[in-house]
Amino acid sequence: MSSPKDASKASVVAYKAALRRATRRNAHEPEVNFLNITAMLDIMTIILVFLLKSLGESSASVPQSDDMQLPTSVLRTEPSQNGVIVTVSKTQILVGDSKVLDLPSRDSMAQTGVGAFNKRNGPNDTYIVPLGNVLQSARQTDKMIRAKRGLDPAGSEAVIIADKTTPFRLLIEVLFTLGQTEFTKYHLMVIQAKEGS
Amino acid sequence: MPQLSVAQRSKIRRLSQPKELAPDEEGGELNIVPFLDIVMNILIFVLATVAVTFTSTIETVPPAAGGSGVRAKTEDDALNLTVFIVKDGFSLKAAAGNVAPGCSGIGAGVSIPLKGNRYDFPALTSCAARLKASNSAYADEETVAISANNGTEYQLIIQVIDALRKTPDGKGELFGKVNFSVPK
Repeated sequence: MSSPKDASKASVVAYKAALRRATRRNAHEPEVNFLNITAMLDIMTIILVFLLKSLGESSASVPQSDDMQLPTSVLRTEPSQNGVIVTVSKTQILVGDSKVLDLPSRDSMAQTGVGAFNKRNGPNDTYIVPLGNVLQSARQTDKMIRAKRGLDPAGSEAVIIADKTTPFRLLIEVLFTLGQTEFTKYHLMVIQAKEGS
Repeated sequence: MPQLSVAQRSKIRRLSQPKELAPDEEGGELNIVPFLDIVMNILIFVLATVAVTFTSTIETVPPAAGGSGVRAKTEDDALNLTVFIVKDGFSLKAAAGNVAPGCSGIGAGVSIPLKGNRYDFPALTSCAARLKASNSAYADEETVAISANNGTEYQLIIQVIDALRKTPDGKGELFGKVNFSVPK
């Protein structure tokens, strides 16, 4: 039974119909007030990781510093990255990432290379004993790798990364020592430069 | 039909308003904008600081030690060019003997002297091309030996290798293979 007050009210059906109409009238498309940048973020992160990884792993990326400045050449060929990396900076010789020996002053190197105490038979010898010992070990590892890869294991390859001021005497000693430890092919790394520069 | 009462109209007005989502209800996603800022900064920094350098490699073989062992027999019709980098310029030696100054004939002296205290690379290229063209038997020869004073810088050796690679016009090949020889 409805009271006199309820009688003045619209029915529930009319009320709900009015509510639906009002809700439809007030409804509006959700406003895009921010950009969805998740996809862009994914791309950025992938590019960043790719760049950092490729730069770090490339043996062609030689850090240039006061101690190591590569010579320039007009050569335009692709660099060979196969082989044991031997680095000759102004102050030290490295095989891979391991330091083999410290170098004396440039004047001394121009006379006797790495010095008599690092040679077998005095200052005129061209075989560097500490380098030879490390290279023999590297050669054994490289020999197994080459055999597994189906390459000729009779001789290994070396990538020589040397500072542009390296004296010829030291260069010859390094190359000679490599030759004595069954490294038969060398890749001298240089930076490409324009002709005449 | 009875009109809607004031209370009903008020309730309809209240309920029909679109709901505003609280900040923590907006899609339930992480706010990654600060992270994006960091990534962008790192990316730009990496791109700006990495010096793009293109490298090449020059192929060579173990150096021949001078003065030791038995000298290998050389072919009679081979040029066997050797370039010595000395203080006063380039001294060239072929199978026939030392190349005379000015790159003309056989004779003693520095084949290509310094030009104003600088090494004359164009003259070295011309001389090597002339020597190679002097006999048709030398046409297929592509190996040159390089020797130098002990103190000669590596950069100079690379420049000599470059100078001996191409003919003066840059179109033909001269000596693409290089061997180092140990000075006696």
